[in-house]
Amino acid sequence: MNKTYYVCKYTPIELLAALGAQCENLNEMPQGFDLADQIAHPNLCGFGKSLLEAVMSGKVKELVLVNCCDTIRSVYDVLEESGKLDFLYLVDMLHSEGECSRERTVIQLKGLARAYSAYKGTAFDEAAFRASFHKPERVCGPHISVLGARMGRELYEMVQDAMPYPVENETCVHNRSVGEMLPPEDADFDGLMEWYAGELLGQIPCMRMMDNTGRKRLFHDPGLKGIIYHTVKFCDFYSFEYAQVKQNLAVPLLKIESDYTLQSSGQLLTRLEAFAESLDASRCEGKEKKMGKGYFAGIDSGSTSTDVVILDREGKMMTGIILPTGAGAAIGAERALEQALEAAHLQREDIDAIVTTGYGRTAITEGDKSITEITCHARGAHFLDPTVRTVIDIGGQDSKVIRLDEEGSVVNFVMNDKCAAGTGRFLEMMARTMEMSLDEMSKAGLHYQEDITISSMCTVFAESEVVSLIAQNKPTDDIVHGLNKAVASKTAALAKRVGGEERYMMTGGVSKNQGLVKTLEEKLGTKLVVSDRAQLCGALGAALFAKDMVEA
Amino acid sequence: MQVVQTFGHVVSQWSGPHPDRARGLLKLGWEAQNLKNKTMPDKRLLPADQYLATIMMDAMLKPLQKPESSAIVSVFTPSEILQEAGLNPYNVEGFSCYLSGSQAERTFLQQAENTGISETLCSYHKTFLGAADKKVLPRPKCIVYTNLTCDANLLTFRRLAEMYKVPYFSIDIPMQQNEDNIAYVADQLRKLADFLKQVTGREIDTEALKLRLRRSRRTLEKFQDCQRARADKYVPSDLVTPLYSGMVNNILLGSEQVERYVDQLYEEIQKAPKARGKHIYWMHTIPFWSEAVRHALSFREEAQIVGCELSQTCEPDFDPEKPFEAMAYRMVYHSLNGSALRRIEAGIRHAKEAGADGVVWFNHWGCKHTLGAAQLAKKKFEEQGLPLLVLDGDGCDRSHGGEGQTSTRLEAFLEMLGEGGSKQ
Repeated sequence: MNKTYYVCKYTPIELLAALGAQCENLNEMPQGFDLADQIAHPNLCGFGKSLLEAVMSGKVKELVLVNCCDTIRSVYDVLEESGKLDFLYLVDMLHSEGECSRERTVIQLKGLARAYSAYKGTAFDEAAFRASFHKPERVCGPHISVLGARMGRELYEMVQDAMPYPVENETCVHNRSVGEMLPPEDADFDGLMEWYAGELLGQIPCMRMMDNTGRKRLFHDPGLKGIIYHTVKFCDFYSFEYAQVKQNLAVPLLKIESDYTLQSSGQLLTRLEAFAESLDASRCEGKEKKMGKGYFAGIDSGSTSTDVVILDREGKMMTGIILPTGAGAAIGAERALEQALEAAHLQREDIDAIVTTGYGRTAITEGDKSITEITCHARGAHFLDPTVRTVIDIGGQDSKVIRLDEEGSVVNFVMNDKCAAGTGRFLEMMARTMEMSLDEMSKAGLHYQEDITISSMCTVFAESEVVSLIAQNKPTDDIVHGLNKAVASKTAALAKRVGGEERYMMTGGVSKNQGLVKTLEEKLGTKLVVSDRAQLCGALGAALFAKDMVEA
Repeated sequence: MQVVQTFGHVVSQWSGPHPDRARGLLKLGWEAQNLKNKTMPDKRLLPADQYLATIMMDAMLKPLQKPESSAIVSVFTPSEILQEAGLNPYNVEGFSCYLSGSQAERTFLQQAENTGISETLCSYHKTFLGAADKKVLPRPKCIVYTNLTCDANLLTFRRLAEMYKVPYFSIDIPMQQNEDNIAYVADQLRKLADFLKQVTGREIDTEALKLRLRRSRRTLEKFQDCQRARADKYVPSDLVTPLYSGMVNNILLGSEQVERYVDQLYEEIQKAPKARGKHIYWMHTIPFWSEAVRHALSFREEAQIVGCELSQTCEPDFDPEKPFEAMAYRMVYHSLNGSALRRIEAGIRHAKEAGADGVVWFNHWGCKHTLGAAQLAKKKFEEQGLPLLVLDGDGCDRSHGGEGQTSTRLEAFLEMLGEGGSKQ
C-alpha cells in the first residue's frame, strides 16, 4: 500500500488514518536537487526542493500538504502541474485560531475527507479515528532542544550523536502535540470534527501563525540545557524568532543553518562538536596520560595551512611551524609535525600528548584527541592575551567569531555560511584576479584615494566587478580597499550577531593583511589585538589542551 | 547621480549616531525631489505620468511629515478604510524603494542582517526593518497588514509592532475563492473598523466608504481602459512609472488624486502616436536602479514596459454598495491569492490587453511565491503565444545585481523578439 506523506503538524493525519491512509512524515535529506532544479527555481528553500525531489524520483505517490508558506504553495502548484501523484491535496489552514477559524477549519477537514474517500473508496471509520490518537512522548530531565525550521532526519541523528545530553526535536512538524487529549466519547462526526479542529489549531503555534506567543514555553523548559536553533536556507520564518530570542536566553544557544542536503554536514559537525565542548568541559580533558619528557604538541590542520606548536611543561613555546596543507590532511600533518620536532630538536617519543584541531582534525591518526578549532582558538587567544573577549578568525574556508569568558571558555560563536564571501579564499581569488601576491595585497589597501564599494556579495559577481574596475583603470589601492571593506562588513556582521565585546583579537592567516585589519577596526570602531603568533593560535590552544591531558 | 550617492551616504552615516538628523535629511531630500517633480518634471513622460510621480512622492512624504496620523501598511492592505480613518499609508515596500532610490539601502539591509534576520528575506522588508531599527523611520500611529500573497508580512509587521510598541491589526486571507471566505474576511474588516475607531477616535462612516469604493471601481475600470488603449499606442516610459501605478492602484486606491490620474492618462493615451517598438509586460517588481534594465527599456522607442502586474491585482467587478464585502472580495479574489495559476492567468490576460509582445517574469530575490512559479509561468505564457523571460535580480538591493548577466539576458530577449539589437 502507498504511504500518504505529510509535512506539517497541522495535517489531519488522524482523519486520514480513519479513511484508511497510512501516514508518514516526509523528512529525508537528499544528496542533491537534480530533479527538483529541472522543474523549479534553485532559490527555493531546500525542504521545498527535497519534496519535489522525492515526488519526481517516484518515491511519493500520495501527498497531503498544508499551505504552510509561499514555498509549499509553490511546490503544490508545480506538483499539480507535473501530474506525478495519485493523490495530492492542499489544506487551506488559516493563520489565526479564533472561533471563526475553527469553523473554517472544520470545512477544510470535511473537504479533505470527501476528496480522500472518493480517491480511496473508503468511508470514515470512527473506531480507527479514535485508535489513531497517541500521546506524544517527550524527553524528561536534562536535555537539548532543537528548535526552529524543520530538521532533516540525517542531520538530527548527527545532532543526537554529537550532544552530551538527550535531544528533543521541537522543530516545525516534530512538535505535533495532537494526541494529548482523546476524542469526546459521545460525539457524532460533526462533533468530532469540531473538537478535532480545535485540537489541531490549539498546538504550540508555528511561526506562520499570526499569534505565536504560545511558542515562549519552548524556551523555558526547566530541563533545558541548551538550544540548537536551526534555520533552512531560503526559509525566513525562523530567523525572526532567532533574532528575537538570541539576546535573552538563559541557556546556551547554537545557531546552525542547513540547505537540506547531506553535503554541508562536515561544516555543521564542527559547530555541533564545539557546542558540545562548551556545554561539557570534560569533553576536552580526555584520557589521562603519564608525564614523560614533558613536551606537548598541537596540530591545527586547516584547509590552507597546517600549523604545529610544541610546548614544554612550563607552557613555553618550543617551536611553531606553518606549512601549506597540500593534498591530504594526514600527510600534511605528519610532515609539519616532523619539521616541528626537528626545529625543537626532539623525537616523536618525547611528546607526551598530541591534540589535533582544524578542518582535518579527525583525518590525522597521530593525535591522542581531537578538539574543534573553535574551542582551541579561544584557548589559544586567552593564553596570548587574557583580556581578550572576542576572537575573530578569518581562515581559508571559514570565518568565525568566538566570544569567550574570563577563563578562556567559549560562551558563544558564529561561523559564516557555506559561501566563500568574507573568507580568506575570497581575498586569495581576488589577488589572483589582480595578479598580485597576498603580501602585496596586504599593504595595497592602506593608502587609497577613492572609497570604492564592491556591491556584490557573491564571490563570482564580485570578481567580475573587480575586472570591470580594472578595465576602468581604477588604482589598485582603491580596488583592494573596496575588497577589504566587503570582507570587513561580512565579518563585522558576524561579530554583531554574536554580541562581540572588547577586546577583540584577530587570529588566522588573514590577520597578516594590514589593510584588512585597519578596515575591520574602522567597521568595529575598536582596535584589534594582533599577536605575532596569531596564525598559530589554534595549534597553540590544541597544545595547551594536550598539556592538560597529562596534568589533569 | 553623484548628488544622490552623496545624499544616500550621508543619510547612512548619520543613521547610526544621529537618527533624527538622518530622518530630517531624508525628509528634506525628498521634499526637494518633490519640488523638482512639480516645477521641472521629466518632460519625456506624459503629463499624467508626471503628475503620478508627484502623487507618489507626496504619499511617501506624509508619514515623515505626520507620522502620528499614518499607519504602517503592507501594499495589499485595503486602502479606503484607512483613508476614512484619516490615516496616511506608510507603506513598507514603497519606503524601501525610495530608500533604495536614495542609495541608502545598504546600511539598513546590513542592520537587519546584523540582528540575525536571514539574508534571503525580501529586501523591501529587510530595508524597512533595518531603517526602523536604526530609528530613521518615525513611529506610526498603528500597523495594519495582511498575509495576502506574501509570508514575509507575517514576520515583518509583527516585528515592527514590537519595535514601535504600537497597536496592530492583521487580516487573515484564506487561499480559496468562495463566498464563505469573503464573509470570513468581511467580518475581519468590520473588526478592523472598530480597531481604527479605537486608535483614532474616528468612526468609519459607511456611506463615505461606499463613495470611496465607487471611486475605486471607476478608477480600476478606467485603468483597464487605459491598458486596452495602450495596445496600439506609443507611450514613453521610464522604469518607475509602471511601478508607481502599481503602488497608487493599491495604497491610494479610492482617493481623488488617483482617479484624476487615470482620467487624465486615458485622455492622453488616446492622443498618443501609433505604437512603436516592442511592448513588454512586467510581472512583479521592477529593478529601477539597474543600469542594465534602464539601458534596455527606459525611454526607448524600440521597447517599452507597457504595464506591471502590480497595478492590476483585482478586477473592477466588486459591489461598492456592500463596502466590507467589496474590500473582502478584492482580497480573496486578488490575482496573487491562491494557486499560482490564477496569477499567471491574470498576467496573460493583462499582457494581451496591453498588446504585449513579450513578458518579463522578475524573480525578485527572496520572493518565494514568484520564484516558485517561474517555470510554470514560462510554460503557460508561452502556450498562449507570449514569450517570457525569467529574469533573476532584486528590486531593491544592489548587491544582488549581476548587471552583466541582466544586460545579456534582457537584450538577448529583446533581440529574440525581433527588436533588431540595441544599437542606437
